[in-house]
Amino acid sequence: MQEALSAFVLKLEATKPAMSDTPENPTQETRASTPSDEQLMVAFAGGSAEAFTELFARYKQPIFGFFRRRVADPARAEELAQETFLAVVRAAGRYEARALFRTYLYAIGFRLLRSYRRKAAFRAAFLGMATRDREPATRNTTEVEVWLRHAIGKLERSDREVLLLREFEELSYAEIGELLHLPLNTVRSRLFRARTALRESLAAPSAKTVNAKLKESEEHA
Amino acid sequence: MNTSTHPIAPEEVMAFVDGELSSARQDSVARHIAECEECRQVAAEFRNGSQELRAWHVEAVAGRVEENVRTKLTHGEERKKHLLPTWSKWALGLGLAAVALLLIGRQNNLQHFSAMNTVVPVAGTHHTVQEVGEERDKALATYQRALEMKEREQLSESLAVDAPAQGDSVAWAYPGTPNPSPLPPEAPMIARTVSLTLVVKDFAAARSTLDAILARHHAYAAELIVNTAQGAPRALNASLRVPALELAAALSELKSLGRVENESQSGDEVTQQHADLVARLKNSRETEQRLRAILQQRTGKISDVLQVEQEIARVRGEIEQMEAEQKALEHRVDFAAVNLKLADVYQAQLTMPSPSIATRLRNGFVDGFHGAVETVIGIVLFFAEYGPALLIWAIILVLPAVMLWRRYRRSLATL
Repeated sequence: MQEALSAFVLKLEATKPAMSDTPENPTQETRASTPSDEQLMVAFAGGSAEAFTELFARYKQPIFGFFRRRVADPARAEELAQETFLAVVRAAGRYEARALFRTYLYAIGFRLLRSYRRKAAFRAAFLGMATRDREPATRNTTEVEVWLRHAIGKLERSDREVLLLREFEELSYAEIGELLHLPLNTVRSRLFRARTALRESLAAPSAKTVNAKLKESEEHA
Repeated sequence: MNTSTHPIAPEEVMAFVDGELSSARQDSVARHIAECEECRQVAAEFRNGSQELRAWHVEAVAGRVEENVRTKLTHGEERKKHLLPTWSKWALGLGLAAVALLLIGRQNNLQHFSAMNTVVPVAGTHHTVQEVGEERDKALATYQRALEMKEREQLSESLAVDAPAQGDSVAWAYPGTPNPSPLPPEAPMIARTVSLTLVVKDFAAARSTLDAILARHHAYAAELIVNTAQGAPRALNASLRVPALELAAALSELKSLGRVENESQSGDEVTQQHADLVARLKNSRETEQRLRAILQQRTGKISDVLQVEQEIARVRGEIEQMEAEQKALEHRVDFAAVNLKLADVYQAQLTMPSPSIATRLRNGFVDGFHGAVETVIGIVLFFAEYGPALLIWAIILVLPAVMLWRRYRRSLATL
């Protein structure tokens, strides 16, 4: 495993990073020749550095996106993303391909996210350290993004997670259920509720005006 | 959309859009949507909603993430950081705490058993006080006879001068004390103390030899304790009184009983103390004689006579007290104190066959029951003792705790 990690370091230096927001799903033509995530993980557990390089390339952007949409601080999202990959490396020896790799990966991500939230909440509640619960506006932030983020932020926490996992991480209902320890029907009903609430929120007549003001206030801040 | 009039619920339409229905149901819903305008509209809304959400882009991950992962993997920091998984740390901590509790409990038990061993002697192994006293009296009588025969001429002149007065008080009012010191008054008076620890091979033989040594040297045992606890070497602790003149010979014989493990000797010079005591005693006796002479020769009022008699009684009391002190001092000089410890060389012996499994099980259950009862009592006692104070603290702290908990939950909800 140590040799594999050293080789991975060398490989990373030679690999150009992929900039996709979702995992790279192989096309029908290449699927036969491209190994699956699970095969790559098993290979990495067996000592293949190339396998981890490939996994890293496939999932670095999705994992960063996963945290970026849930954590206001971009730097913290980066830290959590790298912690996730390091956790994968640490646990590689114990990996068993019983579930999809991405479910496994997002489960690690969720654990780290919960831990981060608990610590941040503790700091805020007991030590009086303020948390950044709203993302600062940047030049690249569009009005639509602010509008969406605001609308999603108003959803119930449990509904919001289901929606985000479905829409951005593109997980199936079964995967979401496994990840959040929920029955399939609960996942479906929560997703329906979240989508309905979001649609109503976005369709409200004053929504665009409100969000325009919101963006304005964030830019001033 | 009314589900009572529609065969397909909106939730199912959503699942159809997401491709989450079984293939048979997918076909069925697809056929319905093709025919139903309302359901088509619902499906379109779900698709549009997903399309709108796709507008939320996330910037590309920074290159430093790769850099950091690479650095940490190269330096192996992660491996060092998590040498033990979290559950192992908890298990280790709990294990150490359990071991500490066990050790504390064992230590307490050992102390308890040690105390029991000290307080409760094994029956028949201790010499009774009566036995010790008889031995002492026997030795003293022998020594007294010997001194009378051999050393009568060496008795001090001062004692001879006051013979009539001394006769009243000394006349073996202290029956255990031999005749006064055979040492000349000008010689230094030293009270000797010797401590001797011996390990013997044959404890029984050593025990009888000790008795013979004591008899031979006119010594006696002021205190003697023999401990023959099971599973431990036999031990004898004795406080001997050996005539000072025969101390060297007695010690030599005592050492021959076994291997000397420890020996210490000390001497306390009491010459000056004795001389002072003798002088004060002499003065008091002269005072007493003068008072008696006054009482015999002078005549006067009855009150004067009574006053002289009272004074004589007081002086007499002082004299007797000083004589007792003198006797005790001389006894310390005449008889050296030897603190002897005899220990048997420990030889493990075959123990009695252990009790049957049924007996051991029964004992185990009984002990377990007692332990459980003690634990319950301990818990009840703890709450009885600290419960009120804990309740007060709980009342004081519950409000801030609830406030902090609510703040924590609020903060968690906003993240």
